[in-house]
Amino acid sequence: MKQELIKLIDLSRCTACRGCQIACKQWNELPARQTENFGSYQNPPDLQWNTWTMIRFQEREDQNGILQWLFRKDGCMHCSDAACIKVCPTEALYHTEFGSVSMHEHKCIGCKACIPACPFGVPKFNAATNKISKCDLCYTRLQANQLPACVLSCPTGALTIGEKDVMLKKAYKRVKELGGDASVYGDKFLDGTHVVYVLPEKPEVYDNLPTDPKMPLTIIVWKDVLKPAGLLVAGSVVAGAFLHYITHGPKTPEEETTSEGGKLS
Amino acid sequence: MKTGMIKATGPFERVVHWCVALSCLFLCITGMGMMYHSLNFVGTLVGGMENLKNLHNYGGIFFAVSLLFAIIIWWKEAGIFSFPEDLQWILAAGGYLWKVEKVPEVGKYNPGQKMFFWAVSLFGTIMVVSGLIIWFPTGYAMATLRLMYVLHALGFVVIFAFFFVHLYLVTIGAPGSAPAMFTGWVTRGWVKTQHPKWLKEMEKDGTLIVYGQKKSAEKKV
Repeated sequence: MKQELIKLIDLSRCTACRGCQIACKQWNELPARQTENFGSYQNPPDLQWNTWTMIRFQEREDQNGILQWLFRKDGCMHCSDAACIKVCPTEALYHTEFGSVSMHEHKCIGCKACIPACPFGVPKFNAATNKISKCDLCYTRLQANQLPACVLSCPTGALTIGEKDVMLKKAYKRVKELGGDASVYGDKFLDGTHVVYVLPEKPEVYDNLPTDPKMPLTIIVWKDVLKPAGLLVAGSVVAGAFLHYITHGPKTPEEETTSEGGKLS
Repeated sequence: MKTGMIKATGPFERVVHWCVALSCLFLCITGMGMMYHSLNFVGTLVGGMENLKNLHNYGGIFFAVSLLFAIIIWWKEAGIFSFPEDLQWILAAGGYLWKVEKVPEVGKYNPGQKMFFWAVSLFGTIMVVSGLIIWFPTGYAMATLRLMYVLHALGFVVIFAFFFVHLYLVTIGAPGSAPAMFTGWVTRGWVKTQHPKWLKEMEKDGTLIVYGQKKSAEKKV
């Protein structure tokens, strides 16, 4: 068992150079596609099957009316209590020894259950392969003691990866330095994610970033209640039927008419 | 066929019944193969989990059409409760759960069967709708999609449980019932015990069909 890793994204150091976005595409051989300008530097508009990570560009005015230009590297959070893994019918999605969420591509049947399950909107469907496509934190690189492509490409130190405890300590130290509204995002929900942010602003400020991400209640009802109930209830019915038979007995028709087919009226 | 048997169902009814029953069973098995990881071997049997998914999805279309026919042909007889006798029957649990001196007489379908009809039609419809949305999720809100998975699982719990109740009753629980869905002919004794009011109604309306009756009547002449 190798150690649990955390990839730290320190947004206070991100310059939105998008090196990570390109490095990710290059290493994972994800093609670029024609996009349209929608009035933002952000490109593409959202994560896609061929874009596992991207920088979100956001313009906003703070409480003093000063314009802010916020950058956020979006992508898989690699949750410990991962909804995508919980709903996957074939165990295609799984936790690696690093705590990251990877996928056995040959096991994916393209059922798309993980798409609405994810609180962060990460898994995307590739219609050409009929499979889900998402960041695996460069699993093969981690296995070879290499940095994930995005981390390797980052010129400012916004992206770093390391042992869980060390990275969390580093994150809290950085938040203390930044002060103000800065916070650590990721260690307090879904049993801790393996991608953790240092957010210079409050979480609710960022577009497409849930302030309180959690395992959807519907998945808890589905997987922790109804799934075992399916077998328990059916089992109880079978047991109940047997008990009914040996105690109350069957409802047998009148004897006279069962043997010879019955009298004619 | 023995002389004196009473006609309970027509061939079309029986075909619809078995279309619903077998496709429902097929969907339960293929669905469980995906719901429970320990049953993933069901996928192996059909050449992989992706095949299993496709069989489940297309099987669902067959079920949907069968269910539609079932609802159309049975909703009048099995979908509408007739009071007060159905209520009295329910209060006595049809004599199935405790000793009842005289079980209230009900028509062709007893309230238990009517409840089964409702469970299958209602939850069957829920399964079809939620299944189609899960199959073609494009354009639906995340909250809607998440709800569909819950409904699909809930429908399974209900239908799977009812399946075993049904199976018990038509085999050893109420002997003599099964031929109604195989040959279509049941014994007079069975009808007298299970559906006495229906027998009286048929005799009164002259709709009772007894096997060999015409022939034997001819013999007498």
